[in-house]
Amino acid sequence: MRKIGFALLFFLFMSQTVYADFDVQEAINVAKPGDVVHIPAGRYQGDFIVTKPITLQGEEGTKLAGVKNNPALRIENTANVTVENITLSGKNKAIVASTVDGLELRNIQIKDMHTGVHIQRSKNVHIHDINVTGSEGHYAKKGNGVAIFKSEDITIEGNTIEQVQDGIYVEEVKHIVVQHNKVTNSRYGTHFMYTSDAKALFNTYVHNVTGLMIMMTTDILLERNTIANHFDFNGYGMLLYDVQQAKIKDNTIKNNRTGIAMQKSSTIQIEANDFQMNQTAIEGSKASEDTMASSNNFTGNILTARSDPQGFQLVNNYYDDYSGIDLKDNGIGDTPYVAVSSFGQWMVRQPVYQYFVASPSVMLLTSLDQQINKTEKNILVDKTPKLAVKQVSEKNKINVVQMLVGLFLTLSSLWLWKRGISQ
Amino acid sequence: MKKWMMIVMLSCGVLIGCGERTYEPREIVSETDVCKICNMSIVHNEYAGQIALKNGDYEIFDDIGCLMEYIEANGEDEIGAAYIKDAAKNEWIDVFNASYVYSKDYWTPMNYGVVAFDSKKAVQDWMTKEGEGQLLAYKDLHDFKWGIHE
Repeated sequence: MRKIGFALLFFLFMSQTVYADFDVQEAINVAKPGDVVHIPAGRYQGDFIVTKPITLQGEEGTKLAGVKNNPALRIENTANVTVENITLSGKNKAIVASTVDGLELRNIQIKDMHTGVHIQRSKNVHIHDINVTGSEGHYAKKGNGVAIFKSEDITIEGNTIEQVQDGIYVEEVKHIVVQHNKVTNSRYGTHFMYTSDAKALFNTYVHNVTGLMIMMTTDILLERNTIANHFDFNGYGMLLYDVQQAKIKDNTIKNNRTGIAMQKSSTIQIEANDFQMNQTAIEGSKASEDTMASSNNFTGNILTARSDPQGFQLVNNYYDDYSGIDLKDNGIGDTPYVAVSSFGQWMVRQPVYQYFVASPSVMLLTSLDQQINKTEKNILVDKTPKLAVKQVSEKNKINVVQMLVGLFLTLSSLWLWKRGISQ
Repeated sequence: MKKWMMIVMLSCGVLIGCGERTYEPREIVSETDVCKICNMSIVHNEYAGQIALKNGDYEIFDDIGCLMEYIEANGEDEIGAAYIKDAAKNEWIDVFNASYVYSKDYWTPMNYGVVAFDSKKAVQDWMTKEGEGQLLAYKDLHDFKWGIHE
């Protein structure tokens, strides 16, 4: 019995390494520009390369496996290539595209590989609906989910990426839109470096070290993203380092160690975001004078803002810990809101102090600050604090059907009860 | 006897006090170490740097460019020792005596393109493999224009 069991296990194992007969590389070689190369379901092992404008189309069960450390699929020096409906596996990189003008990758599954998609010196690239799952282990030993280098006109949308180093890594790219992606359990959700004219919209970043890491980048719009649960020792919702001209609008930033941190950055507009339950909502050091946080809602954060002596502007935000009054009844507090906190300033210099943030002594210090800092005029002062978040009033509605059913049931119950008594 | 003991202990104290303090490099901890300048976590150990301060603290850097930015901002007075990884051997070497090579095509974590080695021979070996670059010494790094170059 035991021998039969082992034999069955052997065949089960062998069945996973059987490769299909169809010759993928030969089909690519004989295809003419514009052709669709259909790859039947099956597992194909090789170092496949595309150098002409064709479509590689798989179906459910089509799997390409790389050999040794080579990429499973390379696309080089060509234009207008589409790859769709394929699962990739192997040790190193799944797809590497170099010098390609016009590339579409869609419905691709990549699992347990070092790096998912690596694109370099390419333009007009559209990557959508792909799924990258890295292997277990520390992110230092992994590659990126999708990495784009020295390229332009890129769209990355609707992808799900987890357990990699950086979900989407972007370096030296012009004109890029990253939208509707979800990145979890990685080092950085999306990492921009030396990039210009970038947009990150409607993305979800949860449980990474940092949601959005933006470095040496110019002209970037970050709008309607959800960034939550980045509470590691070095975790940030967003970190902007040496960034010029960024607009951060309508994002939900919650439960992070620091919601948004700005370092050496200029012309940053933080507008109409919801900051909820972060340890520190906004932190700034060496931020330019025109950096401004306006019309945001701060609720449930331990520290609203902290900065170096340079500070940044706070204008017309709602603060749940503001205790002023509004005698003019214009929705704006009559006294300024002062966000300066001695402890917050110390935390900028020594991040390790964060572990004392809710201790009794710090609470006492913060209370003293609130009394003393009422005289503060310049740093982290909002002279026009909003008193209440926008309220939506809804008129009472009557559902006639529900009311009639309820009335009928009540009357029926009463009738049954009365009948029971009279009998 | 007590007197002799006192003399021996005092001598030991004086000898320890006069001895030159050594500053050993420490291992990088990827879970917690981030670059002092740019805040990136250290995942490419072969380019990492560190400064052992005279007060016993360590500052960690992901790239020689960030290490130099720290030195430019804070000076060298408080530095006990400074180390950078030899990119070929992945071993700590002295920043001040290392040989450097720059090319805009060399990748480093900050993409500054400057890589460190323990000897000029190692630089030549690197260039044979990775392409030609410009040989630099520590003093050249002070005037180097850090950033990406077209």
